[in-house]
Amino acid sequence: MSIEVSGVNKRYGDFVALEDINLTIPTGQLTALLGPSGGGKTTLLRVIAGLETPDSGSVVIEGKDATSLPVQKRNVGFVFQHYAAFKHLSVAKNVAFGLEIRKRPRAEIAAKVEELLELVHLSQFANRLPSQLSGGQRQRMALARALAIEPSVLLLDEPFGALDAKVRKELRDWLRRLHDEVHVTTVFVTHDQEEALEVADEIVVVNQGGIEQIGTPEQLYDEPANDFVMSFLGDVTTLGGALIRPHDVEVTPSPISEHSLEGTVSRVLRIGFEVRLTVLTDDGEVVTAELTRTHARALQLEEGVNVFVTPSPGAYTMPAPSPAA
Amino acid sequence: MLWFSLLVLIPLVAVIITASSGGWSAFAHQLGNEQTASAIWLTIRAAIVVTLINVVVGTVIAWVLVRDKFWGKGLLEVIIDIPFALPTIVAGLVLLSLYGTSSPLGLHWANTSMSVYLALAFVTLPFVVRMVQPVLEELDADVEEAAASLGASRFTTFRRIILPSLAPAIAAGAALSFARGMGEYGSLVLLSGNLPFKSEVASVRILSAIENDNPEGAAAIAAMLLVVSLLVIVVLDLVQRRMVRRG
Repeated sequence: MSIEVSGVNKRYGDFVALEDINLTIPTGQLTALLGPSGGGKTTLLRVIAGLETPDSGSVVIEGKDATSLPVQKRNVGFVFQHYAAFKHLSVAKNVAFGLEIRKRPRAEIAAKVEELLELVHLSQFANRLPSQLSGGQRQRMALARALAIEPSVLLLDEPFGALDAKVRKELRDWLRRLHDEVHVTTVFVTHDQEEALEVADEIVVVNQGGIEQIGTPEQLYDEPANDFVMSFLGDVTTLGGALIRPHDVEVTPSPISEHSLEGTVSRVLRIGFEVRLTVLTDDGEVVTAELTRTHARALQLEEGVNVFVTPSPGAYTMPAPSPAA
Repeated sequence: MLWFSLLVLIPLVAVIITASSGGWSAFAHQLGNEQTASAIWLTIRAAIVVTLINVVVGTVIAWVLVRDKFWGKGLLEVIIDIPFALPTIVAGLVLLSLYGTSSPLGLHWANTSMSVYLALAFVTLPFVVRMVQPVLEELDADVEEAAASLGASRFTTFRRIILPSLAPAIAAGAALSFARGMGEYGSLVLLSGNLPFKSEVASVRILSAIENDNPEGAAAIAAMLLVVSLLVIVVLDLVQRRMVRRG
C-alpha cells in the first residue's frame, strides 16, 4: 500500500476542508480524486504532499510515517494546475532542478534530463524558455521535472484544468500511456468526471470534506453508493420516482411493460449524434431520455407526440431523494 | 522620440559640448582640481555605499511588506513613500533637527561626511522597495512550492528561484537609487555644511562653479557624473543578466 491516510482533519477557521479522511491508495495505480470545487480534494492532495499540515491524523507513504516530514523530504512529485514553471530557466534546467538539488553528478543529470525530455516529447525544446512553450508543453515539462527525482508518488493537482478541451483530451490519453510505461503511483485531482472515468484505475469521490465512495470507474458508474455519486458521475433523470440515467430510458410508441409510463414529448434537442428528449408524463414527471439520432428518426419523434417511457432492462436505478433532503 | 530628444538628449549634449569646449586639457584641468576631485569621489563613494545598502535593506523591506502580516503594515506602506513625497530641502531640515548640533539623539553628524551618507540613504530608500514590491507580489506561490517539492530548502528556493526573478527589479531600483544619489542636493546641503575635502559633494561643487562664473568647470563635473552614472547602469544590467542566466 503506497499511501495511507488515516483520520485526517483540516479546518480553515470555521470551514471544514477535510473531515476524518481514511484512504488507502495502492502502489502503481492511477487514482483520481474526483469531486466538485471546494469539496476538499485539492486539500487532501496537498496534505499527502506535505504542502498542507493536517490538524490531526497521519499520512504514511510507502510504509514510512510522513506526517511530520516537510515536503522537501517526502520525495513526492507534484504537478500544479498552472504549471509553476521556473520562468527564468530553460526547459532542460527546469527538469534538472531537482537533480541538481540532490547534487547528482553532471553527466548523470544530463543523461536523465535527456531521457525525460524524450519521454515527454520535448527533446527539441530543451533550450527554450517556458514562456516559449504552449500550455500543454509546459505541463509536460512540469511532469518531466516532477518525474526527474524518481518520486515514490506522483501527485497532480487539476493538471489539465488550464488547457483547452482538445489539448486536455490528448494529454489525458498521453498521461494514461505514460503511466503504463513508468508505473509510478499516481494521484490526480479533477472535477471532470469524464477525465476520471477515462484515465483512472480507481476513483475516490470527495465531497464536502468527506469521501463519498471509492471504486473502479465501472463500480462507480454502475453501482453508485448514493445519489450524489450517481448524479456527479453522469446525467440523471427521474422516472417513476427513481433516479436513472437518461440513456437507460427506453422510448416507445406503445407500452412494453407494466413499468411503462405514458407522456408527451415536450422538447427535442439534437446534439451531434445524440438526441435529448424531454418527456412530460401524464403524472406530471419530467423525464429526460437520450437516444441515437437514427433511433429517434425511426420513431418519428417530435414535439407533441405521445410516447411511453420505460426503464431499460438491467438499468441501474435508485430511489430519488425527497426534495427536502 | 522628438519629446525624448527635447527633454533628455539635447540638454545632455549641451552639457558635453560645454564641458569639451576648452578641449581635453581644460576638461582634465577642471577635474584635476583637488577640491573638485574630492567632491566627486565622495559623491561616487556615498552613492555606491547607499545603493548597496538599499539593495539589501530595500529587498528585505519589500519582502516584509508583501509576505508578512503585522499590525501597522498600512502605516509602513505610507511611510516608505515619505522620502519621495517630501521636498528634499524639507528632508534636509528634518535630518538637521535630528542629527544636527542640537541632536536629541546625541548624534552629531552635521558637517561630517556621515551626513552625506545619511541624507542619501534617506532620500533613496523607496527606490528598491517600490521596484521590487510589485514583482514580489506577482510571484506565484506554487513556483516556490514546486521548488520545495523537488527538495529545495527555503534558502535554495530564495537564491535560485526568487532572487533571479527579482534581479531585474532590484537592478532597476539600484540604478535609480544610484542616479539619485549622484545628483542629490537639497537634502544634504543643510546637514553636511559643504566643507571642502570633508562633506562637499559634486552637485554643491557644480553650484559653486556656476556662482564663480566657471560654466566649463560645472559642465566638466556634470559630464563626469553622467559618465559614471551610465557606467553603473551598464554594470548593473550586466550583473542582473548574469544572475538571471545562472539561476
